[in-house]
Amino acid sequence: MGYYDVDEILTEAEKIPCTFNLTCPDLGYLDNNPSAPLKSGTEVSLPLWLAELLALPIPGSEADSAYATIELPPPLSQEVVQALKADPRAVPLRDQSAHFYSLATRMLDLFDEKELTAVLRKTFAVRAGEIALHARKGATGAGGGTAEDKASNLGVGGAGEEFLRGLDEWERRLFRKAHDGAKSGKEWMDGVKKH
Amino acid sequence: MALPLPPGLTHAEVAFLSEMEMVTVVPRQRLESIKLLSGATPPLRPPARADLPLWLALLLKKQRRANIVPPPWLHPASLHDLIHRETKSDPEKFSAPPPPRPARAHASAPGRSRPLYDGESVSFSPPFLHGCTAAAPAGYLPYHWLEVAETLLAHAADDMPAPAGEIRGLVRDLVEVRAAKMRAGIGRAGVLGDEDGGFLDLTGVGAIELAENRGFVLGVVDGVRRIGASAEASRREEEEAGGDGEEEDEDDEDMGI
Repeated sequence: MGYYDVDEILTEAEKIPCTFNLTCPDLGYLDNNPSAPLKSGTEVSLPLWLAELLALPIPGSEADSAYATIELPPPLSQEVVQALKADPRAVPLRDQSAHFYSLATRMLDLFDEKELTAVLRKTFAVRAGEIALHARKGATGAGGGTAEDKASNLGVGGAGEEFLRGLDEWERRLFRKAHDGAKSGKEWMDGVKKH
Repeated sequence: MALPLPPGLTHAEVAFLSEMEMVTVVPRQRLESIKLLSGATPPLRPPARADLPLWLALLLKKQRRANIVPPPWLHPASLHDLIHRETKSDPEKFSAPPPPRPARAHASAPGRSRPLYDGESVSFSPPFLHGCTAAAPAGYLPYHWLEVAETLLAHAADDMPAPAGEIRGLVRDLVEVRAAKMRAGIGRAGVLGDEDGGFLDLTGVGAIELAENRGFVLGVVDGVRRIGASAEASRREEEEAGGDGEEEDEDDEDMGI
């Protein structure tokens, strides 16, 4: 959160589909056609920081006119939301966007989508439980577990690895926190004897 | 900012604090009362049991001047019972902390109980709460259960009522069961309705478990809050427009662990 937050800056660079409502001269290069003006009705993908400003109502004109109308970006498309509804754990969010939740919260600021909010909250929490499981397995299995422990270790190899690869930035941070907690717990437990 | 530690206590700090829990010892030598900041220790007379702070008991144990009586909840039977309760009979909740006034059956009047520490006022925190002494009730886990259990298993293994390995295995099982429960509770954080107050009851969670999960749980709660922030803001605006802006939701949002 804040001016210097790299994740925030990268989130703002995510592309959002926009449809221009006005014909803009000299903006043709946005549509790979530098010689012609950008016609009204053209669809282009613009970074969030720009799209957001263009979608605001033009000051001093009638109510719902703006330079461009924006839509939900592909990571938040109906397909993805349906897949998340079916099973939050099965969707690799990172493939959709590395800053999935961050982008989603920005879009929810602009769109009033109650259902999407509910789906995302559920997704985040359910996946958090899974993340905690993997973090714990990773932390306690890493340091000198028996062979049996390692065989049942979900955190390393197999389905676990795939799930962990699909975590977005928020979830990675969460994983780190959970992992740190479990790891220091393990360290403490191993260290009790020494004192 | 100078301290690169996350908020809350670390494991080492929690383990240090757990050393003020009172445990029961059977002294092997006489020792006069020691005046400590937390109060004078009882004078030790060899066959008589006495309650000492854990750190002092460990010191005496290492010098072979005393044996530690493990708390009843560390008995394998009690641990089996706890695991059974946490997995089968009450899989939603963490097992409760010991009741504030331990009671014991009245010898002269069957069916009635009397408070164990007559004439003392009710107290809720160690060193006044005797959750780890020999008089503690079996089947309840005090706040510092894991630290005390691990410390006693490491340093007073020969005083245990059963082989230390067996007890340690049961303790680890219990830890895993409770960690799984914590994760299951986290999964419910997202479907938090407007009416129900919360998603995870932390009553009975031990100090070490809190230290371990604090960062993670706070992260989840914060994430859920941020995802719902704009919906929450618009809802609040509507409410304020409706005339009755309730402030109580704000408190719910800020709730942390």
